[in-house]
Amino acid sequence: MDAPSVKELMATFIARDITDGEEVFVGTNLPVIRAGALLAHLHHGPSMRVMVAHTRTNLYHTPVMEYFELLTDWRGARWAEAYFNDNEIVMYQKSRRDSVFFVGALQIDRFGNSNLIGLGPDPRRLRLRGPGAIATTTNASHVRRFYLFVNEHSPRVFVPRCDFVSTVGWGPGGPDARRRLGLPGGGPRYCITPLAVLDFEETSKRMRLHSTHPRVTVEEVQARTGFELLVPERVPVTALPTDAELDILRRRVDPQGLLRR
Amino acid sequence: MSGLTSGPMSGAEPGSERRSLLVEEPALSTWLRDGMCVALGGLATACHAMIGVRHIIRLGLRDLTVVGSAVGGLDVDLLIGAGCVRKVVCPYVGAEALASIGPFYRAAAERGEIEVWECDEGQYYAGLQAAGQMLPFMPTRGGVGTSYPEVNPELKLFSDPVRGETLVAVPAIVPDVALLHAAQADAYGNVQFVGTGYADRLLWRAADRTLVQVEKVVSNEEIRRAPERTALLAHGILRAPFGAHPFSSPGFYLEDRAHIAELVEAGRAFARSGDRGPLERYLDRYVRGPADHVAYLEAVGLRRLLSLGEY
Repeated sequence: MDAPSVKELMATFIARDITDGEEVFVGTNLPVIRAGALLAHLHHGPSMRVMVAHTRTNLYHTPVMEYFELLTDWRGARWAEAYFNDNEIVMYQKSRRDSVFFVGALQIDRFGNSNLIGLGPDPRRLRLRGPGAIATTTNASHVRRFYLFVNEHSPRVFVPRCDFVSTVGWGPGGPDARRRLGLPGGGPRYCITPLAVLDFEETSKRMRLHSTHPRVTVEEVQARTGFELLVPERVPVTALPTDAELDILRRRVDPQGLLRR
Repeated sequence: MSGLTSGPMSGAEPGSERRSLLVEEPALSTWLRDGMCVALGGLATACHAMIGVRHIIRLGLRDLTVVGSAVGGLDVDLLIGAGCVRKVVCPYVGAEALASIGPFYRAAAERGEIEVWECDEGQYYAGLQAAGQMLPFMPTRGGVGTSYPEVNPELKLFSDPVRGETLVAVPAIVPDVALLHAAQADAYGNVQFVGTGYADRLLWRAADRTLVQVEKVVSNEEIRRAPERTALLAHGILRAPFGAHPFSSPGFYLEDRAHIAELVEAGRAFARSGDRGPLERYLDRYVRGPADHVAYLEAVGLRRLLSLGEY
């Protein structure tokens, strides 16, 4: 088999962090996150539920689920076990306590707070209007944990201070930051980028380098981050997928090869 | 029949029949006026009430507050491009992979030509829930610790009187009228979806009045075969085959990507250089030119429409 692509590596990292029985919500047009969630499900999560294209389902014995680009594609009904009204999905967060979730961002600060609103300074007249928070504000307040995921690792994205915060990570920092804000969800566990995986140091909740992807140096990651990262003495390389994982990814999750483009 | 009257019920003549709620397309005008708060149903690239949207543009309505769906589509974007909108109330306007953000929406917001009521989906739904329950506001936790109370001063932090938690008070979002698109209904307003209907039922609960376009009008007996599928009780029903076009309608047709691309390109030309040419050509061809929905479908073409099957 060809060597894994960076996107396959990122999907594998996501998959290994998800445990059986968890429920994963995947937005659309997010091929890496979709692949990570489905890889976890098909590799070691027979009792998981995944929500893809609004379809709540279990695909453990399904050879291949078609890739849907649009949230509302009704053809996903072929794979569905359940559907819920969109407002119920967002409003009844109690049922999300066992869910994991993914948050994209225009900007991320050192405590994992992030911005999808836009670039400032004036909120009445944004210099650049972002896509908006979608449901990330409410979901990230409640879900068991979430992952920050960005397709660009640069000082534009990793900033000392977000122009606006649409999703709370670790607030002003400190282990009890979220408890003090009254947010019951577990907060961000990892931030996954095309260069590296970052986590949050236990006491300060400052962003820390967890692993670098193959052929990426620690110096390069720091240079492309707009604030100082905590760097442990030894930084491992992000683990490669096993043959079994790569086989599931290429044969059942992503036969169209979106992760290799 | 006026869509706006909601006065006391007067008794029907003895022996008269149950009142039909079928609305003919020209009568849509009586449901709509300048400055209204109009909710548009569907989600993302599905099930927007496009006959209603095109009718609004033909009437040249101004200063609308548009409550788009939680993942607001290019229905909202088109109304902004056509100059009908003063304020947008929804967490997103765009078409996902087909246009990550609505080009007219982004340009008009960045130029200060429209007001955006900033919110996330949880806050948006809370505001509609408050309206449906006739409450002044609904609390949410989503937004605590974020910039939302700063970018939208109507979202107010408060200390909950029960447990003392800091929460966000979201004021009721009360549409004057909701325009929705569904699979089928009878003439008495019993509406049934294929699929979940997204959050259309909540829009109906929140709005003062609801008009639903349907792919087909069916008999009351057909509705009674599966009454548990009846999702909402509309005030008006508009017969609307292909009425969500260019967006998808579950069980009937997929989105028309080529048509959507034409609309997005018109928006991008405007966003790039303020060039309204492509938009004006689009409006002439598909909105102001065709006198009604049938003429619109003729402009799109039978071959294109029939190519949009799900399977």
